[in-house]
Amino acid sequence: MKEPGLKTRREFLRTGLLGSSLSWTVPSFLQNTMLSLHAAADGQLVQGVTGKDGNILVVLQLAGGNDGLNTVVPMGNDDYRRARPTLGIREEQVLKLGQKEKAGFHPALAALAKAYADGSLAVVQGVGYPNPNRSHFRSTEIWATATDENQSSSTGWIGRYFDNACSGCDAAVGITLGSQTPQAFAAKTPKGVLYEAGGGKRRRLGADGEPEADGSMAMAMDGEAEEGPAGGSIGDIAGPSGKINALDFLERTEMDVQITQKEIAAAAGRGKNGVPYPGSWLGNQFALISRLIAGGMKTRVYYVSQGGYDTHTGQANAQERLLREMGDAVAAFLADLKAQGNLGRVTLMTFSEFGRRVKENASGGTDHGAAAPLFLAGGGVTAGLLGQMPSLAPRDLDDGDVKFTVDFRSVYATILEKHLGVKSDPILGRAFPLLKAYG
Amino acid sequence: MASLPASAWDKEKAGVLLQRAGFGGTPEEVDALARMQPWQAADFLLGSPELAKADPPESITRPGLTEQQRYLRRRLTLLTPKDREEKASQLNRAVRAEQERRLTELRGWWLDRMANSATAAREKLVLFLHGHFATSEEKVRNPVLLYRQNQMFREKALGPWSELVLGIARDPAMLIYLDGAKSRPEHPNENFSRELFELFTLGEGNYTEKDIQESARAFTGWTIRMTKKPGEAMDEETTEPYFVNYPKWHDAKSKKIFGKSGGFDGEDVVRLALEQPAASRWITGKLWRFYTGSNPSPPMHRELVATWDENKGQIRPFLQAMWTHPEFYNPELARNRVKSPVEWLVGLCRQLGRALPAPALASEMTSQLGQKLFAPPNVKGWDGGITWINTASLEKRYEYGNWLVGGTVGMRRLGEMDLARLAIQSGLLEVPRPMIEGNAVDDPNVKKDFAEKRKAAARQARELLAISPAPLGPLAGPDERQDPDRLVAQLSARLLPGEPTPPELQARYRKATGEAIPLNDAAVRQTILAIVQSPVYQLG
Repeated sequence: MKEPGLKTRREFLRTGLLGSSLSWTVPSFLQNTMLSLHAAADGQLVQGVTGKDGNILVVLQLAGGNDGLNTVVPMGNDDYRRARPTLGIREEQVLKLGQKEKAGFHPALAALAKAYADGSLAVVQGVGYPNPNRSHFRSTEIWATATDENQSSSTGWIGRYFDNACSGCDAAVGITLGSQTPQAFAAKTPKGVLYEAGGGKRRRLGADGEPEADGSMAMAMDGEAEEGPAGGSIGDIAGPSGKINALDFLERTEMDVQITQKEIAAAAGRGKNGVPYPGSWLGNQFALISRLIAGGMKTRVYYVSQGGYDTHTGQANAQERLLREMGDAVAAFLADLKAQGNLGRVTLMTFSEFGRRVKENASGGTDHGAAAPLFLAGGGVTAGLLGQMPSLAPRDLDDGDVKFTVDFRSVYATILEKHLGVKSDPILGRAFPLLKAYG
Repeated sequence: MASLPASAWDKEKAGVLLQRAGFGGTPEEVDALARMQPWQAADFLLGSPELAKADPPESITRPGLTEQQRYLRRRLTLLTPKDREEKASQLNRAVRAEQERRLTELRGWWLDRMANSATAAREKLVLFLHGHFATSEEKVRNPVLLYRQNQMFREKALGPWSELVLGIARDPAMLIYLDGAKSRPEHPNENFSRELFELFTLGEGNYTEKDIQESARAFTGWTIRMTKKPGEAMDEETTEPYFVNYPKWHDAKSKKIFGKSGGFDGEDVVRLALEQPAASRWITGKLWRFYTGSNPSPPMHRELVATWDENKGQIRPFLQAMWTHPEFYNPELARNRVKSPVEWLVGLCRQLGRALPAPALASEMTSQLGQKLFAPPNVKGWDGGITWINTASLEKRYEYGNWLVGGTVGMRRLGEMDLARLAIQSGLLEVPRPMIEGNAVDDPNVKKDFAEKRKAAARQARELLAISPAPLGPLAGPDERQDPDRLVAQLSARLLPGEPTPPELQARYRKATGEAIPLNDAAVRQTILAIVQSPVYQLG
């Protein structure tokens, strides 16, 4: 099953191996689309959009609904204190950002506070969308497909970027670190491969590792609510009338196995990390992304997900641990990119399907909420607080939740236009106001 | 509902049914089904209610802690804080290790029941229910509760849907997983109510936030206790909680749910939810997707809903009607359904007529392929369909296929698997921990000793977990070994049930046989492997 000497799909197509030296029949999807693939191989692949020096987007999903208010903490805000009598982060613990900023970081985000001070990190405040949905799955799907709350789409925003900007590129134009392709990658012509760094235990739990040794041990009652990465999937688009035939999909994947995985492994071997990373699962994933970039992969989008943010109970400890793991891994990644000289090519965006209820609940946690801040990081990003911090005054809340001030699609549009250099309205369906996130 | 006439019933359709309703099987089993009437075949696969009875795996029946550990637990509070911390963490490690062993045994036990032709169809349905009412050991942390939930599915699988929904609402593992056990009138927890409507019974858009909040109040009082009755003294031996309805914790005040008002409790919520018109649509669509891999067409879905309602949500007659509907065998649906990792593993072993790998290895294989039993990724269960397939998982399917066809005897490595860890975790192997104090860790002798022990453990583990080669006798008789075309035809029919394998695919497989007649074992295995390692084998 291994064809020696093949490096890329382009080479594979160009060398005219189809139907000749392949030891089996031409996969049916190729018969269907061979012409367009050949055209693509001759044209778009050599254009700048897929060149190995092009810009890169890294998406970090904080799955489960990260509590934004305790991530970027409002300061001097009585409404926050009143709503969070026990969970509120005390003002003296908040990591201050500057003289004029009325918000600071969670104490576990010291590494990110430093990146902020160094000028490579921005916060977009109050990101959400109208009529927020409080279901993990639906809200994740809305973020992934970039549709209005009452619309649906069988393709994701990153998948549409691939369809629009690089329809003929290698499958490795998108790499997901993990075991499931995110719904954001769903496309007319599916792209994206999975790759995972070993080492470090993947944290799907918010719960403490150890069960208790008393009578409640067996009940594990103090485990945090955790549902793992509440990512959507591209599974829903399969079906008799769906765009993707399972057999075509399998045949395409079989070809990717042979061509792409070797290519990725080779790049990961070539690239070197220039700084130490934390030993966590997420740290290992970011170390791998950095090696892939250094190793010359032509990948445009990397996607990684950290789960466990669904903190209905025992939030203080769980979120602290998660944010520390996240902040330390991201900060190491930024430092490594800087050492490589690649920081200017990369934008990292975090997002979570929703923030959490302003008012804490009675189990030391918070319930599903709405708008929340997100981070943008990278060499080209203008550091600072972007957008407007939403009001927490009870009369300004929407059913107890923060009202959004920035549509998440404005963030996408800004990244697409200013960083990836493509027009955003064909991908997002319409134009969204751009943020002043890039210089 | 339309039903397949007996005249249209043939081997191809029987093969499809055996694959989808159960985990596939041998040509003999397909022939036996083909000789029945379609309705009879469906009935036969579901078997008698007796089959729901299942002796639990051995480890589930004994206490989770040894007598000594229970004694230690009682004494913990009497120790000095420093001692207590040390002993507690020791005890925790022992408990975790025991849980891991039990889970492995439980997974092996369940996989065995799937591989058994008498129970396969019922177990397939239990697998559906496990994904539908997803509950993970990563939060529940109690193999006994997971076994009880699994057995509850088995016993109620073919009865009324309402009993299953009620069963899950009162299930201790679910009460832990979705926080129902912690819900109190002063702060009702909405987690279970939300998923009950969104994922278990109605689907998004068929309820309001208010319905969720009010239902959460109605479910208060349904919790778990370490005793069967409230007030009863806790049994020293008990480590598993039971469901209790605890009136003191129930909010009995009036609620408004789905437009109706009353002092509702949990039973009322389940009843009100299942009365919603969305309820029949939701579960019938999901069952159709599970068994066919596709969404039902709108007219098909209407028929399914009508049949469901006629049968008052009784699952057995509904499944029989679904499995005998002509649309179930529509060639357009054929080969659009991706086998789940568990189906793939159990199915391949059944088709080859070979034993499953040891539980520790079998469960690691399905986990690596993306389906870890008792640990679905989230409350939505596994997404299934083409999400089972990605570059990494397809490569692993091909690699594991090689192990199951050719065996692993003599292999020095099994992919990325750490066999010593698997053998130790599942209790097959005991390796004494080296006693290392202080700086002795850097002592070359200690290091050498440690390295040798590790090597020996790895060698032992390879033997303990070895997969034997698949027996070839039933797969290739003397006639097939004389005639490669015949061998390919026979193996394709066995491994790819349903529509006949297209000639170009047979040609692909034919290349693997070679030309040395009679075909030796290696050639036969190569041919089987060519089929197993092809995209179309992942479907069924």
